Amino acid sequence: MSEISAFRHVTIGQYLPYGSLVHRFDPRAKLVMFTLLVATVTFADSYTASLLLLAVLLGITHLSRVPLRYALQGLRPALPWIAIFATLQLLFYKGQAGGQECQILWSWGFIDITTCSVRLVALMVPRLLEFMILISLLTLTTSTTELTHGLERLLSPLKRLRFPAHELALVFTIALRFAPTFAQELEKIMKAQASRGADFGEQGRLRFIQRTRNTLPLMVPLFLSALRRAEDLSLAMEARGYTGGQGRTSFIQLKAAPQDCVAVAVVCCFSAFILLHDFTALDELVVGTLGNLTRVAFSCVGH
Amino acid sequence: MRNIVQVQDLHHTYLPGTPFEAVSLRGVDMEVAEREIAAIIGPTGSGKSTLIQHFNALIRPQMGKVIIDGQDLSDGNLDVRALRRDVGMVFQTPEQQLFEQYVGDDIAFGPRNSGFDATEVRRRVRKAMEMVGLGFEEFKDRLTFSLSGGEMRKVAIAGVLALEPKILILDEPTCGLDPGTSRELLCRIRELHDNQGVTIILVSHNMEDVAQLADRIYVLVDGQTVLDGTPRQIFSQPQSLRDYSLDVPQATQVMHGLRSRGREVRGDILTVCEAEEEICRCFGFAEGGGTGVT
Repeated sequence: MSEISAFRHVTIGQYLPYGSLVHRFDPRAKLVMFTLLVATVTFADSYTASLLLLAVLLGITHLSRVPLRYALQGLRPALPWIAIFATLQLLFYKGQAGGQECQILWSWGFIDITTCSVRLVALMVPRLLEFMILISLLTLTTSTTELTHGLERLLSPLKRLRFPAHELALVFTIALRFAPTFAQELEKIMKAQASRGADFGEQGRLRFIQRTRNTLPLMVPLFLSALRRAEDLSLAMEARGYTGGQGRTSFIQLKAAPQDCVAVAVVCCFSAFILLHDFTALDELVVGTLGNLTRVAFSCVGH
Repeated sequence: MRNIVQVQDLHHTYLPGTPFEAVSLRGVDMEVAEREIAAIIGPTGSGKSTLIQHFNALIRPQMGKVIIDGQDLSDGNLDVRALRRDVGMVFQTPEQQLFEQYVGDDIAFGPRNSGFDATEVRRRVRKAMEMVGLGFEEFKDRLTFSLSGGEMRKVAIAGVLALEPKILILDEPTCGLDPGTSRELLCRIRELHDNQGVTIILVSHNMEDVAQLADRIYVLVDGQTVLDGTPRQIFSQPQSLRDYSLDVPQATQVMHGLRSRGREVRGDILTVCEAEEEICRCFGFAEGGGTGVT
């Protein structure tokens, strides 16, 4: 019954309280840095930039003391899709990449592998790794309370425009807070129904109606418990005097320390450098070295 | 009598190899004889729930052995569905897993999954409902979610009994029920054992329930069985139980209190009734009358 316990393995967003430098940054600073780095990873379009970003992110991971294997765990279920996606791009991509002329490396019928499609795939893999590391780093080193407080404060200037920053942050907190609770609840209900002979996922892939019906014994109790919890929660909040965000002060006072400003400034400079610097020459060097290495390797094998 | 449940040196760790790794069981040994009522007691977090989930293969042994009715649960080819028909599991607050609109349908969920025909399903539902004290005609078409808490609990238990298990596992069956309903439920469990010969494994924090029902008690502390014996043996050691943040039944406590004040009373009293008789004997009160508590 490993598939039932598998629900416990949803570890994305599980805060790891290691208290490292990365943990101690102001959540607002972390959110700003996160957004900047995500943008940089998205727009970086050269091998050198990609390798630089990967190196920097691995460095930050090391600083945060989060085990790298753990940070990348969430990638595992996505691996087959990434492989399919990469293969399709490699075989069928017909466009441009990096503003260079594409040379056909291998052609068979309507399948063309060009330098452009190779480049695209070679850039996609580190990019996905970088996204995964970034998301894991943010959620593993920042508790949900910090995260939502940070988000609320960052969005608070928009309150003047009647933007519901407080409500949004509250919804976000509650959703994050109850995700593991519902995962546990679901596990418990699955076990209980399995004890009564219910069968999950062994019915044959094409019997959609049967499969949907099979989820009813899980969904009904889960929704009931969610509604019950929502009612209890709203009562408990009102009993403690909650009346919405108006005039509400916060126990956690976010204070940006000098190191936060320095960190944000460093990340700004780094992003600007990655996005604005022209890496063409370096890229050719990287590709050239890789090419030479492969040739040497092949000749060694040949001998 | 032969042992229907055998656990040898069972270990279990949750999420091994992650930062959330938690050792739950570290070498549990226990044996339950056929037609016995065994109770497992232990403080919160001692691994009781983990242990009982092994009994119907919701968790497979990581290390050590669990043998249920001659079947080794480490065996990869085990027929899990057949095992789950033999071992019925009633979880804590089982009323939360009800999902059908009508009481009868919810109880029929297990038998229908086992592929019995309509007559057999009907027979099993009727029998299971009678065993928990819900009239078949009166309750089968009632709306599940309009029942009271106690009735819902009975429906949930009937849903497991409808599988006609040889072994019934109950996790905190009386938790959150009013005293009347709990007493009734315990009587039903006792009847089930006496009339149907079902082996019962009970997990409870309520020492009164345990004292009243169990033939044998296992004390689980920190993932290990630290004590086992008959209720009289276990509850005659109040100090070691208290060290494990457990306790003895209140009637037993009174007797130990009297003994420590130099009264010559038995220390192995379990129920209020026994305590009443013993006090009458010791203080020379006339028999008869009584509170009528059973």
